Amino acid sequence: MSTVTDRERATEPRTERSPVLLAEGSRAYRIVVLVIIAGIIGLALIGTTLSVYRMSQVTAVLITAIAVIGLNLATGYTGLLSIGHSALFGVGAYATGILILDYAYSPILTLPIATALGFAVGLIVGVPALRIRGLYFSLVTLALGIAFPEIIRRFDDFTGGAAGLLIRSQFLTPPSWTGLTRFERGLWLYGLSFVSFVVVMLLVRNLMRSRTGIAMRGVRDHEVAIRSNGVDVARTKVLTFGLSGAITGYAGGLFAMNVGALSPDGGSFTLVKSIELITAMFIGGAGTLLGPLIGSTVTVFLPELTSTWTTGPISGVLFGVTLIVLVFFMPEGIAGRLQIIARRFVRVVPPDHPAARRPTTSTQNSGGNATGQKSVAAGGAEQPPGPNSDDASSEGSSR
Amino acid sequence: MSALEISGLSAGYGAADVVRDISISVPAGEVVVVLGANGAGKTTTMRAICGLIDRRGSIRVDGVEIGSKPADVVNAGVSLVPQGRGTLGTLTVLDNLRVGAALRRDRAAIEEDIERWTSVFPVLAERVDQRAGTLSGGEQQMLAVARALMARPRVLLCDEPSLGLAPRIVQHLFATLRDINSEDATSMLIVEQNAELAMDLASSVYLLEVGRVVRSGTPASFREDTELRRAYLGY
Amino acid sequence: MELFVERLLAGVTNGSIFALLALALVMVYRSTGTLNFAQGEFALFSAFFAWWLVGTGLPVWAAVIAGMVAGFVLCAAAERALIRPVQRKSELATLIVALGLFSGLNAAVALIWGTDTKVMPSIVPNGLEDYFELFGARVYGDTVITWVALAAVTILMTLLFTKTELGLHMRAVADNAESAALTGVNTSRILMLGWGLAGAIGALAGSLATPLAPEQLSVTTMFPIFIGACAAALLGGLDSLAGAVIGGLIIGVVEAMVTGYVPLVGGAMQQTTAMVLIVLILVVRPNGLFGSKELERV
Ligand SMILES: Nc1ncnc2c1ncn2[C@@H]1O[C@H](COP(=O)(O)OP(=O)(O)O)[C@@H](O)[C@H]1O
Ligand SMILES: [Mg+2]
Repeated sequence: MSTVTDRERATEPRTERSPVLLAEGSRAYRIVVLVIIAGIIGLALIGTTLSVYRMSQVTAVLITAIAVIGLNLATGYTGLLSIGHSALFGVGAYATGILILDYAYSPILTLPIATALGFAVGLIVGVPALRIRGLYFSLVTLALGIAFPEIIRRFDDFTGGAAGLLIRSQFLTPPSWTGLTRFERGLWLYGLSFVSFVVVMLLVRNLMRSRTGIAMRGVRDHEVAIRSNGVDVARTKVLTFGLSGAITGYAGGLFAMNVGALSPDGGSFTLVKSIELITAMFIGGAGTLLGPLIGSTVTVFLPELTSTWTTGPISGVLFGVTLIVLVFFMPEGIAGRLQIIARRFVRVVPPDHPAARRPTTSTQNSGGNATGQKSVAAGGAEQPPGPNSDDASSEGSSR
Repeated sequence: MSALEISGLSAGYGAADVVRDISISVPAGEVVVVLGANGAGKTTTMRAICGLIDRRGSIRVDGVEIGSKPADVVNAGVSLVPQGRGTLGTLTVLDNLRVGAALRRDRAAIEEDIERWTSVFPVLAERVDQRAGTLSGGEQQMLAVARALMARPRVLLCDEPSLGLAPRIVQHLFATLRDINSEDATSMLIVEQNAELAMDLASSVYLLEVGRVVRSGTPASFREDTELRRAYLGY
Repeated sequence: MELFVERLLAGVTNGSIFALLALALVMVYRSTGTLNFAQGEFALFSAFFAWWLVGTGLPVWAAVIAGMVAGFVLCAAAERALIRPVQRKSELATLIVALGLFSGLNAAVALIWGTDTKVMPSIVPNGLEDYFELFGARVYGDTVITWVALAAVTILMTLLFTKTELGLHMRAVADNAESAALTGVNTSRILMLGWGLAGAIGALAGSLATPLAPEQLSVTTMFPIFIGACAAALLGGLDSLAGAVIGGLIIGVVEAMVTGYVPLVGGAMQQTTAMVLIVLILVVRPNGLFGSKELERV
């Protein structure tokens, strides 16, 4: 369709200057990676000096970002538009809450179970995707999103119902090995969320560079073609939704530990949350690695920002307007746009890339075979700036 | 005077032009064929003429410059039978024909034309109330031609009308086009990749390569050139 | 028996509102190929506008018509200015614009008219005594008017699409906009018109729904109705007018019956039950009850 080709053009800058090529495994590459790691650690440490309030906001950003990474897996990379991730988030949150309150679990041990439940629910919702496609599949996820708060309210002896669940802070004390006191819960959750975010992001990065990851993008971009290439589309879809649910469920567990109060009303687990997650994903850049973090930062801080300009409903209007303006001027999202800019200057290539051996080659994608070219072009908005931005073409040229 | 005079036409889909500086002249009442390999820019040229994509350059019908909106083009007397037929599959055959006359107000004459084209293409007459999507490829191509003719064009554009059709049906289609050309003096610009049949109708031929007209001449001059013959006429 | 009829009628009434808004969704889907997430909020805005006009002394029926005009203009303008420019970029982009409209319109309503609950008067007399009996169940005026409205809109739309040239052109654009443009149909005008009509129908749904809604007219009135309408439109097949009507009625009735007769579920899970049913139907019929196969491209 014309849309795809239009985008190819837009994301394939034909600059006069050649970008610097960075071959994976080379010394320069390692230095860049080290600098990035140092930067991340530095950022994390700077975070610890923030005020309690600011730190809790950053924690909220990180938790939302993890949830959005989950959504991004299903929607951004694989093209299964989900309006029901609020429920997967809620499954994780309630799993953590109930396990702590009713089964006296230590909070951190609830996270694997929250993840597993998210995975299970994700799998179950993913199954209809085998038959139901497009907007109709979105309806299935919508059903999940609607059902979740109703189920919570209905089974109130278990979930606290409409009154909600309150996890008192004595149950949320940081583990003793951290050496943190009950009153330093904010710092503990900040650290936990930060580490979780980095780990999840790296896992997704590696997943997207694996065969499964390529199959996922294939399902999104050309399902029919990829099916005839022998990819098990059904398995890919269901598995993707399960993984997506697992990640978002994990984020939900963290959320419960962070806020300590869960309620089926009020927007944490309703469609409002789904809309927030979709918005964050899109603003950040659907199908990008850093998009979830950037988008979550915007969605957590933008309402605050618009409400400092004005109060009440105007901030809601501004939020809507900002969203529309972003779509108009940055349809590939912030991370997608940054990446396009970055690729003009630096381009990471695999060690055996022909251009890397002959560094004078022009900016054109010389990747010889058709697969390579296609995935590079289509991947314009998919790979983040940074050390892995040319993974698709590496796949193409190493075959 | 030419019925359709294209000069200096450039067009594309984004930053870069796909076709550049195309000039083609279709003399009144005659058939002109455009040859070109897959991806040469034939369809792009057609879409640009019809106002589906932005274009630069001049397009005149009977010496008058035409507007750039699709409706202006139809009003000026140019109708396109698009590549892939563009049948309105959820509409009935009859409704497809009616849509073809979207800009006309002469109700009685519209009904006459429906009569006429359903008798020229009897397969359509049998299926007027059937959804167009249920028709075979050949039938859909007939419908697409009939729909374009419903606008009573001075110039009929056909983009690869033979694509995907059985040889027998292609022959029938071109015989019909020939009849229409001689009865109504409708000028035609026919795009083909493999154009032996179309060449029989043509008074002149243009060859498109990578977005430019690289050669033009009489059908005979094309047939004489062994290389061209091998590449585009298939023998 | 009486109770059953009462529940059935209540279901049909709610279903009629779902169906009306679902018709609006189908109109948009047929024009643009997207699900308009802001359709309910367009309706909300128009209904508030109508309410405000009633406050200025306009008769209710005139205010409702004015609300429909406002809905028409608003939706048509949104299509032209906001949807069309991004529509070609991607489906997701269009969806996000709709979400932006959703949030913006809802906040705009709160901004202009406040967040307190309004009482939207009914078009017809709907006092406690204004009823007639049907199989022993009481039927009130504002119930009947929703049925009448649904029937009227359905008939008018059917006539528009099957009997008029405009309707023919609308069907042509819905089927294949480029082919329609090639015949000279003004697709731009048709798209705006499609959205405009959707806006007007939605406004009617909004104005009629509010006298029935338990909390009357507030900024949250339309969302549950929109969800029901969404489900109805999808159940019906997204591009089918008849499907939207039947889908809406099915959902209304199922919800009412589940609430009444399935004690385990009770009033708490009626939406869930309806949605689960729809999912099951979709598993059997992946394109809805009446959807055409061609729409798989979504
Ligand atoms: N919608 C589009 N967007 C971007 N490029 C296009 C589009 N359609 C065609 N092209 C490009 O334009 C060139 C000419 O295509 P086309 O006019 O369809 O050729 P032909 O009809 O001669 O086969 C091709 O390289 C093709 O990739
Ligand atoms: Mg072509």
